[in-house]
Amino acid sequence: MRNFRLLGYLLALSLFIYSCDSSRDETPLGEFERGLLIINEGNFSSRDGDVSHYNFTTGEVQQNIFEQVNSRPFAGVLQDLVPHNDFFYLVSNTGKVEIVNKNTFQSVGSVEGSEENPELIQPRSLIVADNKLYISDHGPYDSNWQLNDSYIAVVDNLSGGQVSKRIPTSSSPEKLYKINNDILIACRAARTIDVLPIGGDEVERSVEVVGTPASFIELDGKLLLFARTSTAIYFHEINRTNYNISNTTEIAIQNATPRIALAENGEAYIVSSSGYPDYFDMISKISITSGQIIDSEFYQGRRMYGIGYDAVEKRIYVSDDNGLQGSGTAIVLDQNGEQVKTIPTGVAPSGFYFRR
Amino acid sequence: MLLISLLYLVSLSLDTVTYQHSLQDTVELHAIDVYAAPLEKFSHGQTLQTIDSRDLADFQGQAFAEVLQQRTGLFLRQYGPGMLASLTMRGTSAGHNAVFWNGLPVNSPSLGQADFSIIPVGGFDQATIHYGSAGALYGTDAIGGAVHLNSRNQFNQGHQTRINTTLGSFGRWNQLVAYEFSNKNFSTRTRAYRNYTKNNFKFNNLARAGSPEERQRHAAVEQFGAMQDLAWNLSKKQQLSTSIWYNFTDRQIQPVMGSNDRDQQLDRNFRAVVDYNQFSSNLIWNIKSGVVLDEIDFNGSLSQTAQYLLSTDVDWTVSEKLQSKSGIRHNHVRGNLSSYQATDDRTEFYQAINIRPISDLAISINLRQMLYDGTLAPFTPSAGADWTFRKGEYNKISTHTTISRSFKIPTLNDRFWVPGGNPDIEPEKSVSSEIGLKQELEKDGFQLKNQINLYSMWVDNWIIWLPRGSFWSPENIREVRNQGIEYFGSASKTYGNVKVSLSATYNYTLATILNSISSNDRSQGNQLPLTPKHKAQGNIRIAYQATEAMINGHWVGERYVNTDNISAVAPYGLLDLGISHKLKLFSMVNTSIGFQVNNLTNSNYQVLRLRAMPGRNYQININVNL
Repeated sequence: MRNFRLLGYLLALSLFIYSCDSSRDETPLGEFERGLLIINEGNFSSRDGDVSHYNFTTGEVQQNIFEQVNSRPFAGVLQDLVPHNDFFYLVSNTGKVEIVNKNTFQSVGSVEGSEENPELIQPRSLIVADNKLYISDHGPYDSNWQLNDSYIAVVDNLSGGQVSKRIPTSSSPEKLYKINNDILIACRAARTIDVLPIGGDEVERSVEVVGTPASFIELDGKLLLFARTSTAIYFHEINRTNYNISNTTEIAIQNATPRIALAENGEAYIVSSSGYPDYFDMISKISITSGQIIDSEFYQGRRMYGIGYDAVEKRIYVSDDNGLQGSGTAIVLDQNGEQVKTIPTGVAPSGFYFRR
Repeated sequence: MLLISLLYLVSLSLDTVTYQHSLQDTVELHAIDVYAAPLEKFSHGQTLQTIDSRDLADFQGQAFAEVLQQRTGLFLRQYGPGMLASLTMRGTSAGHNAVFWNGLPVNSPSLGQADFSIIPVGGFDQATIHYGSAGALYGTDAIGGAVHLNSRNQFNQGHQTRINTTLGSFGRWNQLVAYEFSNKNFSTRTRAYRNYTKNNFKFNNLARAGSPEERQRHAAVEQFGAMQDLAWNLSKKQQLSTSIWYNFTDRQIQPVMGSNDRDQQLDRNFRAVVDYNQFSSNLIWNIKSGVVLDEIDFNGSLSQTAQYLLSTDVDWTVSEKLQSKSGIRHNHVRGNLSSYQATDDRTEFYQAINIRPISDLAISINLRQMLYDGTLAPFTPSAGADWTFRKGEYNKISTHTTISRSFKIPTLNDRFWVPGGNPDIEPEKSVSSEIGLKQELEKDGFQLKNQINLYSMWVDNWIIWLPRGSFWSPENIREVRNQGIEYFGSASKTYGNVKVSLSATYNYTLATILNSISSNDRSQGNQLPLTPKHKAQGNIRIAYQATEAMINGHWVGERYVNTDNISAVAPYGLLDLGISHKLKLFSMVNTSIGFQVNNLTNSNYQVLRLRAMPGRNYQININVNL
């Protein structure tokens, strides 16, 4: 143990020397200020989630940047990466949120609690409101593997710490959206939008929706909730005042996944699965505005676990998780669905964050 | 008894680590031993290692996994102390080794592997490791090798009572009580044990900001069990023996660092075997019947499997130059799991032949054909030979070689799991060859043995579970080449009252993935994950009269986390130190007391990524024999 501590001191010392190195202090940009961040969810059993960085200029890829920078593994399943001001919030559904500097990825704090008294159980996403963190958490499974103790955890300090209160929600809260003085919560299993007043102690009301809610989308000044069933996907327009569903666009796509990438002009790319027995995944190009399928077979492959859209080069990024056998690959497609290049990723790449 | 004496070949020495591939000499039976078919008899050309009984004594009540990890060149994937430990042999996967208890196959038919963490030292008397492909000898699973755990019962020993106690750090308390009685024709032995550890060791939690030192929680292990062995000499030519073992393990599953999981696993294992042996001047006829019942209760979800085994074989010594063994084995398997129920019938025919054309050359030929569920498993032949090409007064040098096929039939889960089980999945198969050189020297109280093996193996149809839509499904997808070197060395010298013994092993394992599972897979040419290329182990013992001191070290090279070979778990080395003293109390009571320091250097290490392991810890062994 002592040796380890010594090693820690030496590492800290070397970092200090590194940071004092005058030849280095002219780098104005953080190492990860520009480029593509690839969210690698990781395997649940091995907790090997982390982030990869791709440099658009040099084509260089760095794997496991959290571990590289902080000299310890991320040790979690990376569910979501949420930016806010100078920070990235790395949400691990294994029960913690790691907070890092947006440009350097240096750890600045965490929400985790202690082993005997965990602050979080299965966090899924996060939003900042009123200088507080609101973290959606599935809570523990009950004896029938149901999520009946889901909640929003509130942390008063933006750089982490303890949970100050837990507000019960409908089952399995996912993505969050801040509007007016409220937070809208997409609850997956309950199929509701829960409305939580910022600063409040309980969910004020739950709006039932058709389909399983996946994420909130802003389009042409409208606020949409993307939801899906096994036979169709839905874009529910949410009234910005009373949060009722004012209009619904339904598109008949079988077995759609929650993975969607918004492009331009109301167009989007969505991943669906062919189902038994082939399990080929498909990307369909749709128009949310017109409610039409533009190209039902834009791209086909196996196990496409994440999708993103780069507005600068107008390219579609799809991730192949390689059957969770080792690390995955990001496949870059042009507007015609032709493969332009591939980028090696970490384990189970599930999303992309473009910093152009 | 005389007949048994004549037929019994090679007794396994319990005093030193022995590597038996050598020519077998007909030696006199320890007339007191209950007969057990000698494992090495038809294994010419291969390497068998019997674990030193003193090594077993050091680990009383602990998991057998610890013995293998610390005292052999084999690597076990350990998910924490006392947690799941699966064995990899010669770079193969966890299920690629066959495990037998008194001749019964005990790999779980649903999982296809054994958990060496729930097999306590004390649950058997003798452990023998068979290195390398041995499907023709043992049937399914023995692609990388096999492990045999046997009871060793005796006649004519009178009454004996044994009480073994181990106390140690982190709440360890292992207790075993054994009573045995035997006369000329009857032997009984009863053992009961309870092993407990709280496992609340300190570790640096790498999953938390700042990697704070914490105490491990939720990793307590409680185990208890009982064994009964019985043997009768029914007549001068007939012997009946039976062993029954019940083992119960209640484990809090140690969560991976950064996890708040609170999983609980209960393992209930019942094994019973009956052997009937009939001896004539040149024949031994054996009938074996056994039952293996396993139950895993994981957070209330039950998995039950049962194996009912019946086998018979005839071991025929045709002449000094020719021996034969012909047999048939039937195993009826039932699985009752949360997602499916299934049965499987496995029938095997086997033939083994030993030929000794000249006294220094011995050849074994083994053939086996298994039928499972109406399907033919790959036909498995093997041929091996030992040749002693130099024999002096004190020195002996021999070489050996073997070429063999092996296989592993798909597990019940592979075939029947709902959803995803693949009824059409094929057995995994391998072809393996090896060559070795062995030197033995014995002169004036000095003993020196060196052995080196080189092997090359090709495994195809390797089964991997891949995600297919919303569930996972197994496929015969991977092809792997395993190549490596095994070194075994031992030396001992007696100086008056002092005996110094040294032993060392080194394993170099290249397990290379030969194919890609998709166009974007970058694993081709890489080392299999969780498989160290290097493992070394060494042991020094110094005995002076009734006192013995021991130092043991093992070192494990880096293990890749994934097939991409990007991240690896750091190499580690552990050093253990022990001292024990034997003394006689009241002229009747033999006792020994031992003190041991494990992980002397307080090395901060993980066997598998993010699975915490304990730092320096202490243990006291007290053994009383009446």
